[in-house]
Parts: sequence; structure tokens; C-alpha cells
Amino acid sequence: MRPRIAEWRFMLKRIRQSSLAVAGLLILLAFVAIAVLAPVLAPPYSSDPFIVPADRLLAAVTPSPTPPTTAHIFGTIGSDQGQFDLYYICIWGTITAFRVGVLVVAASLLIGLIIGTAAAFYGGILDEVLMRFTDVIIAFPTLVLAMVLAIAFPGSIPINFSMVMLAVSLIVMFALLAIRPDRRLMLVDLLIIVFSLYSVFSFPLNVQLGLSQLDKVLFAITIVGWPGYARVIRGEIMRVKNEDYVEASKASGSSDFRTIIKHILPNSIYPILIVATLDIGSIVLTTAALAFIGVGAPVNYADWGQAISRAQSWISSADLIIKNMHVFVIPGLFIVFFVVGWNLLGDALRDVLDPMMRRR
Amino acid sequence: MTNLFAYIIRRLIMLVFVILGVTILIFAITMLLPLNIRALLYINNPQHFHELIEPTIKAYGLNDPFYMQYGRWLSQVLQGNLGTSAYFSQPIAEAIAQRWPLTVEIVIFAAPIIIFVGIFIGVQSAIHRNTPIDHASRVFAVLGWSLPSFLVGMTLLAIFYGWLHVLGPGSLSDSTRLYVSSLPHYVHYTGMDIFDGLLNGVPWISWDALLHCILPTVTIVTIDVALLIRVMRSSMLESLGKPYIITARAKGLDEKVVIYKHARRNALIPVATLSGMLVAGLLGGLIITETVFGFGGLGQFAADAARNFDTPAVLGYAILSAVVFVIANLIVDLLYAYIDPRIRLD
Repeated sequence: MRPRIAEWRFMLKRIRQSSLAVAGLLILLAFVAIAVLAPVLAPPYSSDPFIVPADRLLAAVTPSPTPPTTAHIFGTIGSDQGQFDLYYICIWGTITAFRVGVLVVAASLLIGLIIGTAAAFYGGILDEVLMRFTDVIIAFPTLVLAMVLAIAFPGSIPINFSMVMLAVSLIVMFALLAIRPDRRLMLVDLLIIVFSLYSVFSFPLNVQLGLSQLDKVLFAITIVGWPGYARVIRGEIMRVKNEDYVEASKASGSSDFRTIIKHILPNSIYPILIVATLDIGSIVLTTAALAFIGVGAPVNYADWGQAISRAQSWISSADLIIKNMHVFVIPGLFIVFFVVGWNLLGDALRDVLDPMMRRR
Repeated sequence: MTNLFAYIIRRLIMLVFVILGVTILIFAITMLLPLNIRALLYINNPQHFHELIEPTIKAYGLNDPFYMQYGRWLSQVLQGNLGTSAYFSQPIAEAIAQRWPLTVEIVIFAAPIIIFVGIFIGVQSAIHRNTPIDHASRVFAVLGWSLPSFLVGMTLLAIFYGWLHVLGPGSLSDSTRLYVSSLPHYVHYTGMDIFDGLLNGVPWISWDALLHCILPTVTIVTIDVALLIRVMRSSMLESLGKPYIITARAKGLDEKVVIYKHARRNALIPVATLSGMLVAGLLGGLIITETVFGFGGLGQFAADAARNFDTPAVLGYAILSAVVFVIANLIVDLLYAYIDPRIRLD
């Protein structure tokens, strides 16, 4: 354990030495502060704080956006559904951005990790299928694919949770039987199978999974994003899987699971962590881009991209685009700073963690 | 030589499978849409929606199982017919042929700028590591990569259109477009107004088209050059640390020769792949940039088709983008073997 702690110390020291990394961290800390203090900075009016309160008085005066005033310090966003305060959108949009970035990256990372590891470790047909599938997804512009997915995906899906649990645990059991079994895992899996069988017959767990417009977008970006992770992870594991220490672990009778968790992943995970950090920013960009072309949260939802998408209708008028500049510039700056924060941090992490570059 | 030929043939066979995969995927996704929405595309008269819906579903076989609908589409495509887009109300092949040149027009300007500027700044940044030049280029790279293209585009429009009134949205100004349509013998040789204007002997149409390419080009360059700078810099740094550079310096070679002949040449290999993928991506349509500027190219076509549930149009676009992607990959691989003779194609 000690060498690993020393590694982390060294890493932190290097991060502190790089002024760009410190700048990135400070930016992100500022956003965390905004997110934590959101209820104080912009007190919500309804039970769901992400629903932006509408200003009815102002809407009665004009339906178009109004520039910053003392009542609305960032101005308002006009729409046919009312006047929405831009300041409120920017503050609560911070939480939305964190949620979007972290959730999508975590989900894609998890799927990519499982599938990429399995493909690299076992090779053969599984590897072939995975690589061809990633070829297909990567061959198509991600934005259009995500768009089609987000549009076509149903808003609510009925799920029989007991059946899902049974199916997954059966597949895992087959996988465990086919490859070298790990007895403890098989026991756990057997318990889950028994429980879900019992549940299917006596108390079926039916869930109506309702997906909001934003959930559908997140889901779409995850589906489009995981093959990229699977590829990176597969490449990394291919690199280490024939190393002596992996052979040693196998020879000493460890299960595949133990070999992967204890020896392969710790030696191949770092490049993926960097990719993931850099990705949080770019996923927020993708979500905003989708919102801009009209696939995103509803009008009254606190989301930076959604606010900017209002601006799309003014591009053909020279007057409107100047008059309503605040609607895209202010949330735009929030997006830029947020993404810059993550990118600076990711950039520094890469310099620190890359064994080829670090000690120079 | 035969090896190379066999390699190319094998890659082109793979193209068929990629196209099948992409179209099956898109088709399967659009089947998730409710039947009514899929039928809505073909109904021109929404007032009579309830009377028209049953016959429409029957006429287009929208309730058939997946493999029948896909098979019908595939056999139609194999006969060389991409079908007609209900949303654009024109044959899909024609719609794409009309819009793709507009995208290509921007890429012709943007791609060389991105590649050459990216390589130049990346190399300078690496040889002046940890100097103000390096810091400036790194900040620029991170910033460029963090900018949303719609924000860059809207800001440029606000400055040059809203404020200065010099450049505007679209691929031609309204008066020019009107003039072009009034010309009886104007031939669209290439579909790109920059060249068509010259070929038809009306140079000011070319000038107008050129002006309209500036803002989209600047938008794309600002964002994509950042990626190239980053990759070029780290690749160059890696190359500069290799033993052959020490050898080259030790034998007393001129520093210019060491950097440009030995280090840069080797550092270009990953950049060549990236550039190929980048250009392929650009040729596949600049979805956001074209939408911001209302440019009407392939990217806007794809976005409009997807937004309006026009499945055949999205599928037509999918075929084109898969072809572009695989061919770009192939060119990159061939280029690879040329840059680095150690690589053998097999």
C-alpha cells in the first residue's frame, strides 16, 4: 500500500506545481460553491427547484427577452410560455451541468469498463462483436445518432424488475460457468437467482420508468459514448494482460475476477480516468449542442443549453441578435468556464499521470 | 502491389458491413417511435389526421415487422434509389447532392488551415516547452477545445452581422440568391457558388459566396485547431525525447535539421490519423455550425431530417457518412504507410 500512497502524494505535489491545474481546480471549486449555495443564491419558488419561476407581470408587458435590470440582474428569456429569469437558470443550471456530466461519464465508464475488460481479457468472438459494434457507432456522427436516439426513445418504459434481475443473474451465472468460476461470486449469484425467481412468482416488481426530456438526452449520450471508453479500456488491458505479474497471478490460482480487479485494472485505469475527466466537460458541451438544435430539456427547465437554444430564432435578424445578446452570452460564459475547468484539470492530470512524461 | 490492392478491397468489403450496421441501428432506433408519429411524416394535411392515419400506415407498411420494413428499404436502395424525403419533398439523393457541396465549400477552407496552423503551433509549443510561447498556446488550446461552436458562431454573427453589418448568415446574401435564380443560363457545375460563379462568368457571385464562408470557417478553425495543437505538441515532445534525437544532436547535426527532419517527421504520424478523422468528421456535416449560420449544408440536412422523424432521409445521410468515414480511414492508413515505411499494410 505504501508505494501507492507515495504515488498519490507525488501526484498531488505535481498538480499543485502546475498553475494551469490550480486554475482549473479553482474554477471547479467556484462552480461547486454555486451549486451548494444555489438555494441561497436563487431561492426556489416551487417544490422542484429546477423549474424556473415565470414572471407573469413581465410576460404581460412583452413576450420577448428583456435586458438585465435590477429585478432580473441577468435579464430574462422570453418565450411563448412566459418570461424566465436568466440568473435563476444560470445558478440552478450549474447543478444540472454537474449532474449531466458526472452521470453520463459514470454510466459510460461503467459499461465501457465491463465490456472492454471482458473483450480484452477473453478475446475471441466477444472481442470481435464488440469491436465491430464500436466501429458502427463510431462511423456515424455522434451528434446525429444521439439526436435520433433522444427523439425516438419512449418517455416511459414499463419494466418488470424481477424479470430483469432474473435474466441478468442467469447470464452472469452462465458466464461464470463458462469461464473459470469464482466460488464466492457464484454463491452470491445463486442467491440472487433464487430471490428473483421467488419475486417473479410471488411479488413481481413492476416499475414504470418515467424519463424526462433531459433523461432521454442523457441516456442517448451514454449509448453513443460508451463504445469509446470500451475501446480505450480494451487497448489498455491488451497492453498489460501479457505482463509477468498477470501470468504470476493466474499461475498462483487466482480467479479471473481477482486477477482483473487486483492486478490488471490498477495498472490500466489511469489513462481512462484522464479521458473521463476531460469528457465531463465535453459531455456538457454535447448536451448544450443538442439543446441548441432543439433536443433537450423543456423551456422552463434550468439548463444552460436550453437558455441558449432560445437564441436560434434570431440569427436572421441583425437587430434581434444584438438586442438579445445576453440570452446566449451569459449562459454561454457559464458553459465555457465550466468546460475550461474540467479541461485544465484533465490536461494537468494527463501530464502528471503519464509515465512517459512525468519525471521529465 | 498486389498486397496493397487486396488490402484496399478488404477495406471496401468492410464498408458494406459498416453501412449495413449503421442503417440497421438507425432503423431499429426509429422503430421505437410511436406508430402515429412515424405516420405523421407522410401526412401533408394535419387537419384530416384521423381519417388519413389508417390509409397512410397501410400504404407505407408502417405496421409491418422490422425485418420486412428494413428489407423493403434495402431492396429499394440496392436498385439505386434512396427514396423520397417527405419532409424536404424531393428525392433524397438529389437533396444530398444539392447540400453536400455547401459543406464541402467550408471544409475546403477550414481543413488546410486547421491542419497547417495546428501543426505549426504544436511544434513551436513543443520546442519552446515551458516558455511563454508554450503557455500561450496551451491556454489557447484548452480554451478553443472548451468553446461551444454555437456560442462562437452566435458571437461572430452578433459582431459582424448585428453590429458591423459586413458579413451575414446563409451561404449567399438574399439579393445574390435572387439574382442567381433570375439568371436563365446559370449552371450549377459544382454546386459550390464560389466556383459556379467563376465558371458562369459572374465573379461577384463567387465573391459573395466567399464572404459567407468566412464566419463558419473561423468558427470551425477556432475549435478544431485546438485539438490538433494539443496532439501535435505531445507527440512532438515524445519524439524529442527519443534516443535518435540525442544521436542526431551528438553527431553535430544542425538543430533545424534535428527538429524538422528527425523529430517532426516522426511526430507527424499520430497527427496524420487525427487529421484524417477530423476531415472525415467535417465532411460528414457541420451540424451545429451550419445550423447557427443557416448555411443549408449536409449537417443542417441531417439535423432537420432527424428532428422531423424523416427516417429515409436520415438513412441516406447515414450511408453517405459511413462511406466518408471508411474511405477517410483507408486514406489515413495508406498515408501512414507512406510517412512511416516501417508500417506494413496487412
